[in-house]
Amino acid sequence: MTQKNVTGIADFIARYLSYMLGAGVHTSRVVRNSKRIGSALGVGVSIHTSQKTATLTVSDAEDGIKDTRVIDIPAFPISFEWNADLSALSWAAHDRQMTLEEIESRFDEIVARPKMNPIFVLFMASLANASFCRLFGGDIWAMLITFTATMIGFFTRQHLTRKKVNHYIVFIVSAFVASICASTALALGIETAEIALATSVLYLVPGVPLINGLIDITDGHIQIGISRLVNAFMLIICIAIGMSVTLMLVKDSLL
Amino acid sequence: MIATDIISDGLFAAVAAMGFGSISDPPMRAFPYIAILAAVGHAARYCLMNFLGVDIVSASLVAAFIIGTGSVFFGRKVFCPMTVLYIPALLPMVPGTYAYKTVFSLIMFFQEISSPTRGSEYLQEMIFNGAVSFSVLFMLAVGATVPVFLLRERANSMTRGSRFI
Repeated sequence: MTQKNVTGIADFIARYLSYMLGAGVHTSRVVRNSKRIGSALGVGVSIHTSQKTATLTVSDAEDGIKDTRVIDIPAFPISFEWNADLSALSWAAHDRQMTLEEIESRFDEIVARPKMNPIFVLFMASLANASFCRLFGGDIWAMLITFTATMIGFFTRQHLTRKKVNHYIVFIVSAFVASICASTALALGIETAEIALATSVLYLVPGVPLINGLIDITDGHIQIGISRLVNAFMLIICIAIGMSVTLMLVKDSLL
Repeated sequence: MIATDIISDGLFAAVAAMGFGSISDPPMRAFPYIAILAAVGHAARYCLMNFLGVDIVSASLVAAFIIGTGSVFFGRKVFCPMTVLYIPALLPMVPGTYAYKTVFSLIMFFQEISSPTRGSEYLQEMIFNGAVSFSVLFMLAVGATVPVFLLRERANSMTRGSRFI
């Protein structure tokens, strides 16, 4: 193998792992998949990861050629579809003896696929929060209010994210908007108004970083696991701050 | 009557899981299995809590374990890693009301900070609710992750041979 081959493989694996880590896949899966692609192409792969960067070494033991680099991890929105299909790509590379060009073109195809329609997501998330309200014992009116409040809050989140506002601020503002909309239930005198208020912000709960953080820690990637958990807790605190503003405003009618 | 309660609990959990799941852009083929896992898990927790008197933390652990194990078997069918199926399915079990009460008690504690008796009552309430919400969240993650370790070989080759790439 020549230096050029090794560099080409390193270029691809660098992209592959930055896309996977950026889209919220837990670390041991990313490492395992990258190593699998590497071994399918006949090179060894070693990876060190942290929250915003990763270090990658691709080496060809026979000819003693190495390529080492530090990669920035871009912040993609979380994508389970990439998680599933890029993992499958690593198995395909392993089982079907694909060449680097084939793997690359398949990779480009997968990441270019259209995402879920934002309006569909908006509707689904609102429906989810309304059902959630029912699970906590809310009545039909509380459900309707939660549905509307979530829709407004989630729209705010989508809009601010598109404007590239800092994501902590996005969380605070969306939590505030959703909960202040839900607090209209208090003014309308609905019996289970408090449940509507409590559930209206739950669409923001950062479930993926929370669980990924725990999986990473149990897999021995303790540093990045803690980073992910800290990140998730920061977001939860932001939700609490946004909701506190509403509670300060309406607390007299809650007592 | 009991049966309708359990079924409606599962049904609403399924809708909630699909909705929360859609935020994280899962592949379309995963939705039916996310719904089934969420419904079974949440209904199991409902039964444990209401008919067997199990506390919310242990019941969540058992339900999360059921969801995690289920995702090992369903994952193979739709070529999805376990996390793609079980993270959305776990979300309807997030202890929302406890978390809300934690924040609310904290705010009220600040308001009543000059009154030692009422202030400490709110502080106590905050610790109580905070402990429950933290433990439930932790147990959900642990319960669903344990099957990954028990069935490691199977869990790590879930997407092998996928038709969807």
